[in-house]
Amino acid sequence: MAAPNSLILATVDHLARFAPFDSMAREHLIWLAERLKLTYYGKGETVLGPESGPAQTFYIIKQGVIHGEQDVVRAQDDTTWLELHEGECFPLGALLSRRGVASTYRAGRDTFCFELAAEDFHELLKRSDAFHDFCTRRIANLLEQSKHILQAQYAKSSSDQQSMSSPLASLIRREPVSCAPETPLREVLESMHKLSIGSMIAVDANKKPVGIFTLHDVLDRVALAGISLDAPFNTVMSPNPHTLPPHALAHDAALVMAKHGFRHILVEEEGRLKGLISEKDLFSLQRVGLRQISGAIRNAEHLDTLKHSAKDIRLLAHNMLAQGVAAEQLTQIISTLNDVLTARIIELELRDSPAKDIEFCWLALGSEGRLEQTLNTDQDNGIVFATQAGDDAEAMRAVLLPFARRVNLALAECGFPLCSGEVMAGNPKWCLSLPEWQHTFADWIDHGDPTALLNSTIFFDFRPLYGADHLAFDLRAWLRDAARNNPRFLHQMAANALRNRPPTGSVWDFFTGQGHILDLKLNGITPFVDAARIFSLAVGGKQTNTLQRLREMNEPLHVSSQDTEAWCDAFLFIQLLRLRLHHEQCERGEPLSNKVDPDSFNNLDQRILKEAYRQARKLQTRLALDYQV
Amino acid sequence: MNWLARLFAGKPELTTQQAGRLAAWQSLPAPDLNAPCTASRYVVVDVETSGLNLARDRLIAIGAVAVCAGDIHLADSMEIILQQSRISGRDNILIHGIGGTAQAEGVPPVEAMLSFLEYLGKSPLIAFHVDFDKTMIERALKTFLGLKFNHPWADLAYLSPALCPELARSHRSLDQWMAHFGIGNFARHSALADALSTAELMLSLRECMSARHIENFKAMRETEKAQRMMHWIG
Repeated sequence: MAAPNSLILATVDHLARFAPFDSMAREHLIWLAERLKLTYYGKGETVLGPESGPAQTFYIIKQGVIHGEQDVVRAQDDTTWLELHEGECFPLGALLSRRGVASTYRAGRDTFCFELAAEDFHELLKRSDAFHDFCTRRIANLLEQSKHILQAQYAKSSSDQQSMSSPLASLIRREPVSCAPETPLREVLESMHKLSIGSMIAVDANKKPVGIFTLHDVLDRVALAGISLDAPFNTVMSPNPHTLPPHALAHDAALVMAKHGFRHILVEEEGRLKGLISEKDLFSLQRVGLRQISGAIRNAEHLDTLKHSAKDIRLLAHNMLAQGVAAEQLTQIISTLNDVLTARIIELELRDSPAKDIEFCWLALGSEGRLEQTLNTDQDNGIVFATQAGDDAEAMRAVLLPFARRVNLALAECGFPLCSGEVMAGNPKWCLSLPEWQHTFADWIDHGDPTALLNSTIFFDFRPLYGADHLAFDLRAWLRDAARNNPRFLHQMAANALRNRPPTGSVWDFFTGQGHILDLKLNGITPFVDAARIFSLAVGGKQTNTLQRLREMNEPLHVSSQDTEAWCDAFLFIQLLRLRLHHEQCERGEPLSNKVDPDSFNNLDQRILKEAYRQARKLQTRLALDYQV
Repeated sequence: MNWLARLFAGKPELTTQQAGRLAAWQSLPAPDLNAPCTASRYVVVDVETSGLNLARDRLIAIGAVAVCAGDIHLADSMEIILQQSRISGRDNILIHGIGGTAQAEGVPPVEAMLSFLEYLGKSPLIAFHVDFDKTMIERALKTFLGLKFNHPWADLAYLSPALCPELARSHRSLDQWMAHFGIGNFARHSALADALSTAELMLSLRECMSARHIENFKAMRETEKAQRMMHWIG
């Protein structure tokens, strides 16, 4: 055939904007384009249906919308409802297995499709590995691509940080501590000691830095030189300290330090002191490792250190996103480190508290209980304590509560906001003995009113975080029997969960609440979390983690492992979007939220999200079927 | 070549081989204009010229795409640039984007027009504002091949308002009709891209046509003729 004309080339360029064509070789795309027919379907016209027999044609939407409607008779088939947009193809499954389609495909508005004959489709599968890969590993493949894009984005921003090309302004950790040059040396050393800082800066009346003095200087300039502690500061400081502007790069600071042997660089803007950068600050990024963070937490003696570690946890999460660590591992690592942090806070608070004489277990609830913490997680916690015959639960609670409140406050200081719903150990309602918890849970299960149902979605995901684990395990075993023996309660939970329907998949359908906004928590992961909890209670599962619950239920409930993995993938993808969103919000200094404009996702992510929602609907269909809701 | 020179120019010289190709095309059976659209091949065409003056301007490029049984076959398409002895003006180049080098390196006109005929066969032609494309193509065929091109054409500029009377007043240009049906264009004012958009317009009108029982080329032409009358009177 002659050289392709501009129409073929334009078609190739058009296709190459979408997966999988974007990863196919140009010669294969030309081969494809030369075999395409362009067809038109008016709004409402049927493109393809089960009655058409084995699929004869591969369709790629050039423009317009195609709706896939489920055939009621074949409700078991994997297709429930879908909406396909520009660049999407169908019907892959039917073509691959050379069977008819289960859904009726209809033009949602006037639509142009590229069409390829089935034999050419099969020939293309042979010719192009990328195409073959896409068709056979559809979701896995889309996820893979999305991950690559994500990695590329984050690799860029993290190399920015680690290649030390970030501006000094972004590295300043706190307000610099300064004093007047005439301040007596004794006063300076005392405040350095009190604030546990390694250096003091002298500034003049206009806040211009005029000298610096570090702990390192104490030995030779004060102690060995025998200087009186009443001498003014300016007799021992290093005058005319080296300064850099805030927009200078970390790299510049490192260079100056290396050249002059300084450990500190002052940041000065328009003649005023802005901050202090230490050698440690520059290399802190490399210090942020899993082991280092947990080590720092375990040895921390002050809340300040722990606050710093909490920041490091977030930084680590960022780096791990960059390295393409999967959402499952990532949320578990975040949760694990947060556990270590919480445990250390508890240990520190317990030291001088009478609570240490009570046998209790600190419970993680909600997302923390499920080991699914992202970067924005309120506190959800409680206490279960042991009582012996004759013990006064009220008296024990009175001892535990002040301690619990201090832990809650300390956690808040570390960036875990206090729970607006007061689901915290410091609340007397959630600091209970084992029998009291059982009583509370039994009450919820028996009544099943809206509050009880809401509470159960938070509390039934409890797990032990610190202290006497066996109390939590006893409570879990008790709950397992209590819930399983009350089908009415599970039915109510199912009905409640099904009230929260995931969006049906159209980009224009993401209207939830105000404006064009999608809530990745409420409309994203919650349907999975809720369904997994109910199934877990039904089968008497031990897990609190949604993925583990889904995997745990597949055998007793006869779910195919493909379905299970598809649900897990879908759940994880939405989690990944949440993590990414939170990270971006952190970067911009915005408050963390789960609300996002779906238009901000790239085309690929929108498609996967649609597929993820399709999986959510499928899981809900199963729930509705099992509980006849 | 001005119009006078054109008028007095002798019969063009074709090689034996070229004359044979022309004869072969001429001997093809005439199209059956009563054949249903669902079993016919139509060729949608668009031209680029050195200007809009029908008497003076020259044909620079032809773009064409076939609609077979109601579908557009992407590979059944052609675009050809005619070699120009004189390069068109800068303003003109800015419209169609065929630069001086491309014009000078185009296909020699005799070859170009023969390829066009061989691609076309005897399939009926469709365009938007036929008069312009028709005049340019007929003249080029006359000038370069000595062929009197007497071919059936249908005009979407008249068919579209006839089929969508409610839009007739507000929709005149190809761009307006494209906008109405949400039709894109990969390179507006490139002959092949415009031919594709015109073909997509043709597809978009399919439902209106079948609603009016316009099921063959003859019926299309009759509808068009009636609309032309309306246009004259109105």
